[in-house]
Amino acid sequence: MTPVLRSDGLTKRYGRRAALTEATITIPAGRIVGLVGPNGAGKSTLLNLTAGTIRPTSGTIEVLGARPAASAAQLSKVGFVAQDTPVYSGLSVADHLRLGARLNPRWDATLAHQRIEQVGLDPTQKAGRLSGGQRAQLALTLAAAKRPELMIFDEPVSALDPLARRAFLQSLMEFVAELEVSVILSSHLLGDVERVCDHLVVLAGSRVQLAGDVEDLLEVHKRVIAARGELDALPPGIEIIQADHTARQSTLVVKDTTGMLAQLVPEAGVERLDLEDMVLAYLTRAASVAAGAPVRSYAEQPLEAQR
Amino acid sequence: MIWLTWRQFRGQALIALAALAALAIFLVILGVRIRDTYDANVTNCAATCSLTSARDVMEDLYFTPLLLTGFLVVLVPAIIGAFWGAPLVAREIETGTHRLVWNQSVTRTRWLAVKLVFVTLAGIATAGALSLLLTWAASPYDKLLAGRFDPLLFPTRNIVPLGYAAFAVTAGIVIGLLIRRTIPAMAITLAVFAALQILVPTVIRPHLRPPVTETVAFTADTTVNEFSAGSDGVNINGYENAVPGSWMLSGRVPLLDATGKQVARGQINDCFKGDFRRDMACVGQMNLHFTVKYQPASRYWTFQWLEFGTYLLLGGLLAGFAIWRIRRGLS
Repeated sequence: MTPVLRSDGLTKRYGRRAALTEATITIPAGRIVGLVGPNGAGKSTLLNLTAGTIRPTSGTIEVLGARPAASAAQLSKVGFVAQDTPVYSGLSVADHLRLGARLNPRWDATLAHQRIEQVGLDPTQKAGRLSGGQRAQLALTLAAAKRPELMIFDEPVSALDPLARRAFLQSLMEFVAELEVSVILSSHLLGDVERVCDHLVVLAGSRVQLAGDVEDLLEVHKRVIAARGELDALPPGIEIIQADHTARQSTLVVKDTTGMLAQLVPEAGVERLDLEDMVLAYLTRAASVAAGAPVRSYAEQPLEAQR
Repeated sequence: MIWLTWRQFRGQALIALAALAALAIFLVILGVRIRDTYDANVTNCAATCSLTSARDVMEDLYFTPLLLTGFLVVLVPAIIGAFWGAPLVAREIETGTHRLVWNQSVTRTRWLAVKLVFVTLAGIATAGALSLLLTWAASPYDKLLAGRFDPLLFPTRNIVPLGYAAFAVTAGIVIGLLIRRTIPAMAITLAVFAALQILVPTVIRPHLRPPVTETVAFTADTTVNEFSAGSDGVNINGYENAVPGSWMLSGRVPLLDATGKQVARGQINDCFKGDFRRDMACVGQMNLHFTVKYQPASRYWTFQWLEFGTYLLLGGLLAGFAIWRIRRGLS
């Protein structure tokens, strides 16, 4: 099956500032992908490149086997809900549905009207008067009713209050189950990602830090706790992502590609990690590598770990 | 796509239509009144009235309204360029809605092409309707006073306003596409349009064809607004009707005698007694002449087509650039 996204050395620069550096990733079809990272990590850049709203500075990107936004046929396969869910404030909800119907050959009018009714939107209301949550629902409906194969959401819930956020994610999950689409969504809310995503891409400092199916990732990442000094020399195949030391004890987050971590460090305690701890370990590492570049500092722009 | 274009453009189109309707009523009334005056002073009194006095009457009554309406005919393309052209792309980018519309199943090339063609044609139609109405309303006046080649009237009649509209809208679109902010794009569009409206008639239009240089005799019919005596001799100015219907390019020129020497003040001083008509007749009998540079009346339509075509071509180039630019994607 064609991967929904395949990029090779994908780079986007604005002047001298790198928004995305050498991203090489492959995302298989049928996943709900969570794209996480601090603000300014390059999440929006990657999503806009995927939707074809912007073009890469160098490198290649293929979405569903073709260059993004290259043709009407390609556009019809990808639904994109941009950050802040832009809508035409002068047009009514019904006008937006008409817009969708006129501009998309595979438009599903039944689905669109059902959704609008379900979330309680008044078709005659001007989109400019909708609340943030309602606007997001309208944008989601527009993107879904074109019946794409891939839906992209750029921070869909960041501007919403907790209740609207929950309702929106609920809608999203319903869509995914109903329409059998692949989804890529970016968020800085790790709890949301953990709840809905089965594939993960971690971005920090414009670079991809980690990518893969959540299950596989959690399989190879472990927390290792041992007396101080015992873990100074680790066998090959085990990579330290994060290390915390107290006077008597060391706590490591490691990536184990040998599958035999417990046997290799028998005297240490090995624990499972949850997604949040794993992501934070990578982000902390990326931040310390980039120390001296204050904008990227993880400490200044912490991720919210909400549940 | 046409539906969306119309839906977004509807409000502006209705305002334009209402304004156009009001102007049309005004121009029809003006046209009818000009015809009444023309009939009363020219057609229905062939035996009793003189053309000179008819010209005076017409100029007194209609010079100002026609001049002001003429300004409006040039202003309308500028307004259309600023209010229809400049926000076309800039406002979408400013409000972020380009990210919505560019992700429907319509390539952004087609999106821009449809909007550009639609709005440009609407602009041309608006300017065209207005120009047509004014050209009709003013036609007896223009015929009688033979001044339509004048730089103040030339851009307000016939086909050149259509070219201005085509240029203004496409320029507005391109400027909006490059600046990406609505208000600055509108201001720059207006500035560019105004700059061209000053540059073209002063620097470019006079040279579209090599001007004709001709020595004309100073006769009793010649009217001159200004005699001035310099150290070299007498100069004259304000002799526009020396070659009727032409666009006079020369300004102050020396008045020459039969041998081709510039007339000295003393030679004509005795003619000036205070009665304008007699004074002119007196000077007219002295076998004097002067050399003028002008674009003849017969070139009027050549100039109309040339200027219209140039603006249309510019508009086409700008449209092509806009399409090329949007295909390349926003950086």
